[in-house]
Amino acid sequence: MIDTIEKEENIISEEEAAQYDRQIRLWGLDAQKRLRGSRVLLVGLRGLGAEVAKNLILAGVKGLTLLDHEQVTEESRRAQFLIPVDADGQNQAQASLERAQLLNPMVEVKADTDAVGSKPDDFFFQFDAVCLTRCSKDLMVRVDQLCASRNIKVFCGDVFGYHGYMFSDLGQEHHYVEEKPKVVKGSNEANDGPEAKKPKVDPNETTMVKKTVSFCSFKAALEVDWTNEKAKNNLKRIPVDYFLLQVLLKFRTDKGRDPQPDSFAEDSQLLLQIRDDVLETMGLSSELLPNTFVRFTRPRLGVSQVDRVEQNGTECRLF
Amino acid sequence: MAKLVGPLRKELAESLSSCRVLVVGAGGIGCELLKNLVLTGFKKIEVIDLDTIDVSNLNRQFLFQKKHVGKSKAQVAKESVLRFCPSANITAYHDSIMNPDYNVEFFRNFQLVMNALDNRAARNHVNRMCLAADIPLIESGTAGYLGQVTVIKKGQTECYECQPKPTQKTFPGCTIRNTPSEPIHCIVWAKYLYNQLFGEEDADQEVSPDTADPEAAWNPADAAARATASNKDGDIKRVSTKEWARSTGYDPVKLFNKLFKDDIMYLLTMDKLWKKRKAPLPLDWTEIHHLEFSQEEACGTGLKDQQVLGVQGYAQLFHRSVETLRSQLIEKGEGAELVWDKDDPPAMDFVTAAANLRMNVFSMNMKSRFDVKSMAGNIIPAIATTNAVIAGLIVLEALKTLNSEFDQCRTIFLNKQPNPRKKLLVPCALDPPNPSCYVCASKPEVTVKLNVHKTIVQALQDKILKEKFGMVAPDVQIEDGKGTILISSEEGETEANNNKFLSDFGIRNGSRLQVDDFLQDYTLLVNLIHSEELEKDVEFEVVGDAPDKAPTPSVPEEGKNIANGNKDSAQPSTSSKAAAEDDDVLIVDSDEEPSSSTMEASPESSNRKRKHHGTDTDDAASKRKRLDQQPADDDEDIIALD
Repeated sequence: MIDTIEKEENIISEEEAAQYDRQIRLWGLDAQKRLRGSRVLLVGLRGLGAEVAKNLILAGVKGLTLLDHEQVTEESRRAQFLIPVDADGQNQAQASLERAQLLNPMVEVKADTDAVGSKPDDFFFQFDAVCLTRCSKDLMVRVDQLCASRNIKVFCGDVFGYHGYMFSDLGQEHHYVEEKPKVVKGSNEANDGPEAKKPKVDPNETTMVKKTVSFCSFKAALEVDWTNEKAKNNLKRIPVDYFLLQVLLKFRTDKGRDPQPDSFAEDSQLLLQIRDDVLETMGLSSELLPNTFVRFTRPRLGVSQVDRVEQNGTECRLF
Repeated sequence: MAKLVGPLRKELAESLSSCRVLVVGAGGIGCELLKNLVLTGFKKIEVIDLDTIDVSNLNRQFLFQKKHVGKSKAQVAKESVLRFCPSANITAYHDSIMNPDYNVEFFRNFQLVMNALDNRAARNHVNRMCLAADIPLIESGTAGYLGQVTVIKKGQTECYECQPKPTQKTFPGCTIRNTPSEPIHCIVWAKYLYNQLFGEEDADQEVSPDTADPEAAWNPADAAARATASNKDGDIKRVSTKEWARSTGYDPVKLFNKLFKDDIMYLLTMDKLWKKRKAPLPLDWTEIHHLEFSQEEACGTGLKDQQVLGVQGYAQLFHRSVETLRSQLIEKGEGAELVWDKDDPPAMDFVTAAANLRMNVFSMNMKSRFDVKSMAGNIIPAIATTNAVIAGLIVLEALKTLNSEFDQCRTIFLNKQPNPRKKLLVPCALDPPNPSCYVCASKPEVTVKLNVHKTIVQALQDKILKEKFGMVAPDVQIEDGKGTILISSEEGETEANNNKFLSDFGIRNGSRLQVDDFLQDYTLLVNLIHSEELEKDVEFEVVGDAPDKAPTPSVPEEGKNIANGNKDSAQPSTSSKAAAEDDDVLIVDSDEEPSSSTMEASPESSNRKRKHHGTDTDDAASKRKRLDQQPADDDEDIIALD
């Protein structure tokens, strides 16, 4: 869908040009127009969600829907900066709406209080990109699959204490352009001598090169077969966080929540058990994920760790 | 509230709420950093910024809204943060960190200082203050998609000035005045022209043809003769550009013909210059307007500013902007001077027009206002996410620092592309202090080569001590057994010395100067070597400080150094007009970086004679006093470790 985003209003207003000046100078006017024409869904408004919301709104997307069925608690209020101090008990998306909107009045920001699991397939089809945080593995697999058919870009991410991950699926055939400096055909300088200074081809001149790249699905990323030789050889280069993620997603599925400091003892037990099960199923040793991992997966601290792993998904792939 | 400490250990969480931290800068990095600090649990935060909010900040400085434009960044940042964390104890200063009020005692109040700056002068200064106070400093910078964080701890790590940073790119006078070959040369020329006509005249910003150009002379003796002739007679015309313009009433057509026809024809007589170069083609006002009027394309779907006009278009623009600036001058009254500011439309129009006309004369492709503004205003593109990532890393390093886990601290680079190991974030071990650092060594010493008969005291103070060595208020004594005071930081005390030559004080080859900056608690011993063989346009050289000594990178993408910035700021903004320049700059050793973003800015300062510099800062004087600014441009490369 992004390929065909209507550059709805082709003219950029003076106001937009002034406000977006510094980013237009980075990614170009064309990219800014595409942003301007895109609608994004953001699921989950805790610490990570608030950061994503801020970044997308500041970038100047057409619309951002904040979807979260949970209520504001003291913990969630401490995790992010959009929720007012007196909002305990309100819906998280709803409570974040006002401050989110104020970040950039030119973006249409909406709040949706439903649970993402209850949404029908075509709900997702109205968006150009979908960002999922705090979702179950099954949901992420489902959404990723149905978005693939419509070329809707999918980004998943979570924060667990000092750890986190971000996954992006831009489709089987993602087209993009890369800016490369124009190759200056050098003239034969031999005769010119040291003093010759011809007007150069402007060194700033660049050219856009079209490229295509292919992404794997979320499901495929999680269901790597570690028993074959190639995978085993690559094992050393896989960050241990990959396996940590598998464990935490399983915990989330089994318990319907993430590990909490209040239930540290009980949760640690379960985490270690899950670790053993998960790694065994993969045909791997438990030593891959040492016991100490349970200490770092307590509830989300807030934004500082989030920023460490988070980048606006349109820019890069972290893997 | 205390019960929930998340992944932080209880002791750390407690010490966080009691420690005092200073954030220098409330811009791109500053906003993200303040938010992070408060959400992490820091309670006592002081933030200082001399700047006011501009509309171009709003794409990333998220603590500010449109209604805040013109207000103090530090103040509004504080208010916005308090809204989501009312229990935070934040003090905001709308002021320059270089103000002597912020002395070593002030810095000693803090357990940690974090920079969120955009210029080298301030970074140097804070570096020295933190060394003097022995407080850890976290330094950082961003530019576009790139960013960097590092930790500075006296005695344990390099300080900000341990590695000499290559000085700002400068262009020789003859390139600007006689033989430009790139658009930037024309843009620099146009900015000089603005100053010569409407602003503060500067002997280092001449725009008329340079007869003393060594390249122009067929006979070496000729060049010398011309040089002395020039010096004696002033320029080719004895009248200054401003006087000439005045005498014609700032007539735009006369001005046009002088600059783009007469002066060019003069250049053509210096035929040696054009033996191997394409000769410039003079423009004539009347002729231009008789040409077929090339239809300027309709605005279309691009930004208006991104259009490239034709020669008639720029001639018209030149005409209009001269008239507007002339009226501005008249309004201001007798002896008035305008200050160039990229956000002042007629000033920007003038430079766009003049630069393009000159580009046309010298057969270069002309540039849109958008592009000229980038180069003339030294604009660094900036987005929210880079700053967000860097601010996150700053807090992580801060936590380690507060735990005194300096062995865990790193310099971290944020790249645009993953490296061969597929990492976007690359940590490097911190280096130990440089034993010969002229700032943090126990008895800093440096050797400077100059001509004692030609260097005046003012130049020593401004160009060498302030601009090169980053001092704010130097006191200089000659080590001549008598302790003769050459320069006093007290205003007026040594003013009589300013225009005297160093040799007038008995200074000669081998003389030593003791230079103190009491604010920075910094003493530097300067050894002087007399030389009559410095290159043209070079007033001094620091021995052992050549930029080309920087080691070649082993992994190109990872060779970077912290931003220096492109702004110099000294006084708080009082005007509502924002001429703010951008955020922290990161200079990257990558061929992807467009040259305009690696351009250094040099401040336009009153009372100073300056060399030709690449690009100048555009800051409006009404906003801040120009201070010496260390140019940026770190080409130094750091070897990445894992």
